[in-house]
Amino acid sequence: MAAVTPVLALHDVRKSFGGVTAVHSVSFALEGGRIYGLIGPNGSGKTTLFNCITGVERRDTGRILLKGQPIDGLKAYQIARAGIGRTFQVTRVFPELTALENLLVVTRGDRAAAERRAAELLAFVKLDRLRGEFAGNLSYGQQKLVEFVRMLMRDPELILLDEPAAGVNRTLLNDLLDAVRALRDQGRTVLLVEHDMKVVMGLCETVFVLDHGEKIAEGPPGVIQADERVIEAYFGR
Amino acid sequence: MKRAVLLALGVTVVALAVYPALGTGYGVRSALQTFMWIALAGSWNIISGLTGYVSFGHVAFFGAGAYAGAILVTSAGWPWPVAALAGGVAAILLALIIGYPCLRLKGPYFAIAMLGLNEVLRALVSYFEGLTGGGNGLSLPTLDASVPIYYVMGLLAVAVTGAAYLIVTSRFGLRLMTIREDEVAAEAMGIDTFHHKLGALLLSAVGPGIAGALMARDQGYIEPLSVFPLATTVTMIVMVLFGGKGTVWGPVLGAVVLFIAQELVWARYPYVHPLLFGAIIVLVVLAMPRGVLGLLQMRYRLPRTI
Amino acid sequence: MLGQVIVSGILSGALYAMVALGLALIFGVMRVINIAHGPLLMLGAYCTWLLYVGLGLNPLLTVPVSMAVLFVIGLVLQRTLVFRVVDAPELSSLLLTFGVSIAIVNLAQLVFTSDLRAVEYITGSWVIGRLAFSKPRVIAFLFALGVTALAFLFLQRTRLGKAIRATSQSREVAMVCGIDVGRVHMFTFGLASALAAAGGALLAVIVAIQPEMGGVWTFKSFLVIVLGGAGNYPGALLGGMLLGLVEQLASLFLTTQLSEVVAYVLLVVVLLVRPSGLLGGRQT
Repeated sequence: MAAVTPVLALHDVRKSFGGVTAVHSVSFALEGGRIYGLIGPNGSGKTTLFNCITGVERRDTGRILLKGQPIDGLKAYQIARAGIGRTFQVTRVFPELTALENLLVVTRGDRAAAERRAAELLAFVKLDRLRGEFAGNLSYGQQKLVEFVRMLMRDPELILLDEPAAGVNRTLLNDLLDAVRALRDQGRTVLLVEHDMKVVMGLCETVFVLDHGEKIAEGPPGVIQADERVIEAYFGR
Repeated sequence: MKRAVLLALGVTVVALAVYPALGTGYGVRSALQTFMWIALAGSWNIISGLTGYVSFGHVAFFGAGAYAGAILVTSAGWPWPVAALAGGVAAILLALIIGYPCLRLKGPYFAIAMLGLNEVLRALVSYFEGLTGGGNGLSLPTLDASVPIYYVMGLLAVAVTGAAYLIVTSRFGLRLMTIREDEVAAEAMGIDTFHHKLGALLLSAVGPGIAGALMARDQGYIEPLSVFPLATTVTMIVMVLFGGKGTVWGPVLGAVVLFIAQELVWARYPYVHPLLFGAIIVLVVLAMPRGVLGLLQMRYRLPRTI
Repeated sequence: MLGQVIVSGILSGALYAMVALGLALIFGVMRVINIAHGPLLMLGAYCTWLLYVGLGLNPLLTVPVSMAVLFVIGLVLQRTLVFRVVDAPELSSLLLTFGVSIAIVNLAQLVFTSDLRAVEYITGSWVIGRLAFSKPRVIAFLFALGVTALAFLFLQRTRLGKAIRATSQSREVAMVCGIDVGRVHMFTFGLASALAAAGGALLAVIVAIQPEMGGVWTFKSFLVIVLGGAGNYPGALLGGMLLGLVEQLASLFLTTQLSEVVAYVLLVVVLLVRPSGLLGGRQT
């Protein structure tokens, strides 16, 4: 079996805040063109892990490698430029910029081409007519879509989604999930944190389970669901 | 609509251009000062209005430019227009020295650091007495250059407003605004916020630097208290807040309206007017945080170029 | 020489710590940077002066009175103005408190004029060996220690004090626990103003009083918080001491004019090297 460099590899990543260890020696590897899920009870360290990968936080020890290159010391904007896109748990659009400007602002180079692409992406999520509206005036679901396509503007190879299903109605959710599958089919890698088990089981090919900052299980959704340690973590001992 | 606006602008420019031939000395001086305030307010807007990083010590750039320009005129015999440009350069250098450490931090830390900057510069000026004349101030050779300075200052006001226009309509300007909106998200989207903030600070320092040097030449005499007064920063802030921070013409509106008001009404009561400015800041922040033009922009969906 | 530096540093350090604690409380509880903190200190100084000149009160007795007066003023400021920007972007609270500070300073200038005022109380130093202990500064030191100790006792032992600390850690959780956050905010601002006033009242016997005296105290209080770590209340104590010591040390080598520059450089250096404070604390 040929060894392919994983798109993302974590080796013994650890992060504490004061006396609290949020992430406790987590390791895993993501292969290209697959959808991964990251689940775990509240406080298990999922968002902290995301923040460490994307550079919002600095991990204490351990290595984080993007396509074999270490990114653990880089600043957030450098990591974004290296090809990682992310959305946030609570949508973070730029409220006083229009929907179009939200997408435009992350681009460089040919402005006309960028504007065309932005218009295309907005049309893709059916927000075309709202392109001149201030993002702060959009509904939550619409903001979520804007944040989603804004993340796509830079053509990321690795996509991190932080609770994409939160606060979103079923129709919109299905559209989003279809979009995620389409992204996977394009060869991108997706890692999502999610509480909605139906979403995770239906979408993800491999699932990692965190509990108290440690990875306690890894495998296809069916296997994870039956794993005793996972059940214990969620429902207690 | 656009043609009418351009026509109005054109007429104003022509009128201002011929004014010195028709107006009184006092009128020319007042207009000159209005231009200065437009340049100052417009510059403050570039860093504080767009990025949201409040610069409380912005008058430091004005003072630095004033001293640089004055020293070059008196000690090195430079012609004042060149000295004025040098004032701008001095301000940029200062902005670099201060911005580099302080902009790595979040907004509130930067604000406090800028708050202290004024005092530090005053202390430094007093310390390097030999060069700056210390507390005794510095006198420039007598020269009545009000009219040429009027034109140069006018050009500066135009340049600053023009720069604001270009910035706001560019993606650079949009990126500056994302810093104000959500710096963490901006970084996550690949925007190098530090260098953008630094760029904005440098751009916002040039105007005050040149204006300071020009005012030094116009007044003929400077001393630490006259070129580093907190009141100047306060006035800049009030003008931008009132007119509309983050807009292109807001600072112009604020500068003109408040300068006229200051001259007409408050110059008679020298201690009341700073008090009033403080009160206006409070009122605007609470009741009209976007300023006049900002409010109109939101209400009537006006384009960014307002 | 070094001994004198340490003595003087500690004496002024306690004052810095007490005043900075006020600023730290406001920042910790409300996430507001109160630029008007220094001007409030100035009002405390004038309050003492008025009582001393008008009623002939012993300046030390005026300390609690000044504190009470400024407590009320702080309460009013919070209830009328500051509460409106607690949830707004930081820019708004910065500008608001800036506006308030300008208004207060200029109001003082109108009412009291810029003439320097002084409160004559006690002068001279106690000399022990080769060390001189400036009498007014020692008294100020003792008072500052006392007030700060009381403040900490209050924060640790009383219900309201615990409510303040809880709100400072997490507003949401505090609300869920039934804490009246609005009241806590009001009280905190009042308490912080009282601490500033105490600083002003004690300073009144040491330095000349004039409307602009407060400005540098806002800056230095902030520096103390940065040194001790934001949100780290005991850290403010050490931060204050550290500032006092560094200043005194610097005055050995530099002129007094440049001692301001020292504080500034210290701030910049610490922010660059250890933004979470020397003792660590919460990030903004």
